[in-house]
Amino acid sequence: MPPQLRLNAVAFVSSQNHPILIRTFSQPKQDELKYHYIAHTSLDVIDERITAAGATKSTECYLGLLYVEDVAVYGYMTPLKVKIIIALELSDNVVRDIDVITISQALHTAYRRSVANPFLRLHAPSDNVTDHAVVVSAGSQKWKLFRERVDEICRAVTLPAAA
Amino acid sequence: MATSSKQYKAIGEDIWKSRPEKTNAELFALTYGALVVQLIQDYEDYDEVNKQLEKMGYNIGTRLIEDFLAKSNLGRCSDFREVGEVVAKVGFKSFLNISPTVTHGAPPPPASPTSTVSQQLSGGSSFTLTLDENPLAEFVELPEEALEGGLWFSNILCGVLRGSLEMVQMQVQAVFISDVLRGDESTEIRVTLVKHLEEEVPVGDD
Repeated sequence: MPPQLRLNAVAFVSSQNHPILIRTFSQPKQDELKYHYIAHTSLDVIDERITAAGATKSTECYLGLLYVEDVAVYGYMTPLKVKIIIALELSDNVVRDIDVITISQALHTAYRRSVANPFLRLHAPSDNVTDHAVVVSAGSQKWKLFRERVDEICRAVTLPAAA
Repeated sequence: MATSSKQYKAIGEDIWKSRPEKTNAELFALTYGALVVQLIQDYEDYDEVNKQLEKMGYNIGTRLIEDFLAKSNLGRCSDFREVGEVVAKVGFKSFLNISPTVTHGAPPPPASPTSTVSQQLSGGSSFTLTLDENPLAEFVELPEEALEGGLWFSNILCGVLRGSLEMVQMQVQAVFISDVLRGDESTEIRVTLVKHLEEEVPVGDD
């Protein structure tokens, strides 16, 4: 029987630490702001871990359990320095690393597919190549399909109910 | 006798397999996407973008047909119906590795339904290609303005069809009927024969 992972929230943060997408799935509709704070504090922890990891240039850095503050927060960093932060509800089940890694990779793939959309750069000034942050700014309507994909992944994760 | 549909499929497969140089599909999709977005930024009018894509496709088609005829070694098609079959099963398969389904349009009213010979010379016959996958639109999500503006993202394909068929003495009109990117159920291109062209001295490239 697969352990039931209750996914509370997922956050994507860009390389310049701008939020890209923050989605919450907790059943009692707690305020989303809490997860914005969690994502923010995770950034510090991630930076700490990266500098601690030191010179080892490991790609696809799975950062593991970052900290616990009534939800367990896991971090994953992509080669382009996009951080994926996952908040799982604390439970008695042992959460396997491999499960979290699989979820992170699925989310990473969804992100990659959405970023490949050529229309993302439609209204970005064509000469300003350096400011990637403009293109990936959060909340804009062009991320609609991305949100749907993330929702689907999270639903698939929480769906394995007791067999 | 007309080659059967299975044979066409086999020919298409063979040509696809025999090509040593294949391109990475992602690279292809990203390149085409960047092209369309650049056109939109330059022209700022979706109708104009559609026209330009069609023009580009036309230029591609006029050259592509040579490659196609050389590799496939097929003879003249006996009627427009066969043209549709060949385009779908051999053409699309050998270049894009997709197999769209062909639906033939009703024959034009004046010609009697049983006589296919007269159809050859009259315009009005058509076929519809239904693409269930489109390698050009792999990662694409159309934004609102493009939807409202009437952009046909893969319009280059219509141009390719028009250009290549013109080189084999058929003047056709190829248009998109529906597109999954726009939220429709399927992606369809309707190709209508306007007329057969006389053999003439080839016009210089304009």
